[in-house]
Amino acid sequence: MSRLETIPIPVVESLSVAIQLPNRLRIGGRITHQEPGQLLGGFLKAVHDAVVGERLAAFELDVTELKFVNSSSIRLFLDWASWVKALAPHGYKLRILTTRKFTWQKTSFVAITALAAGCVEIHTAD
Amino acid sequence: MHDSGNIHPAEVALTESNPAHLSSSHPLVVMRFRPAWTYIDGVRDFGEFFCRTTFTESDVADRACVVIQETLENAIKYSVKDPDSELELVICATENSIEFSVTSKPDNAHLGSLREELDRLNHLDPEQAFISALERAQNSPEASARLGLARMRYEGGVDLRLVEQSDGRIRFTAAGKL
Repeated sequence: MSRLETIPIPVVESLSVAIQLPNRLRIGGRITHQEPGQLLGGFLKAVHDAVVGERLAAFELDVTELKFVNSSSIRLFLDWASWVKALAPHGYKLRILTTRKFTWQKTSFVAITALAAGCVEIHTAD
Repeated sequence: MHDSGNIHPAEVALTESNPAHLSSSHPLVVMRFRPAWTYIDGVRDFGEFFCRTTFTESDVADRACVVIQETLENAIKYSVKDPDSELELVICATENSIEFSVTSKPDNAHLGSLREELDRLNHLDPEQAFISALERAQNSPEASARLGLARMRYEGGVDLRLVEQSDGRIRFTAAGKL
């Protein structure tokens, strides 16, 4: 059994979260909570740790259905990029699958990627 | 403009105007409500709907979402805890510009940080300032992210302005091109 399968999925209002084996996490909906780190920070760290534990070469974060987030939530993705960057060059590559439908994704993820060049990549689904 | 001694839980005023016919800044929406987090989603969604319906420019509604979300979050987080506290959101437009203003009564500690942060941001171009704010957040994982203002400038395409009123309230304005 993959370590990813053992991670409890957080239940958060306005948000859908699903791990799709072997190497993908889909997050959809909106994250506009006051303390998003308390809701999702531990979960994302657990996913990261499991990816490292499984020695995966790459992992995909699919946010194509993530309509909107507040700036406190951008911190969640920034932290993830930092964890991946800290492992380079021996870690995994984080691929973020975005969409042009939601303007915020381009600006936010491009900037985050710039801070973790070579470790985090952006792909556009449409 | 309003008597804050008699606040209703929420108050909304809309002005029917076609912004294409406006030559000077004109309030299209005025909303007053208590500074409670629970109102943010509803107010942002209304702002998005209003901008999508009123303006032909396709990105205005997306920019409005970012600006309304971040201005209200800041105002609500740092408003003084007072039973008479209220926020006022005003959306104004001219033929070629849009402006979002939020009036609130902040605590003194926040006001100092807000002045400092605005001063720091206004010395950098919006993209540079956003990346710099991300770097700061990345280097201080335990501190609060403080990305909101930089995000508004970069993603919302607005200039930010702070006006301190004599009654201790502030008016925080985000203004950009249509």
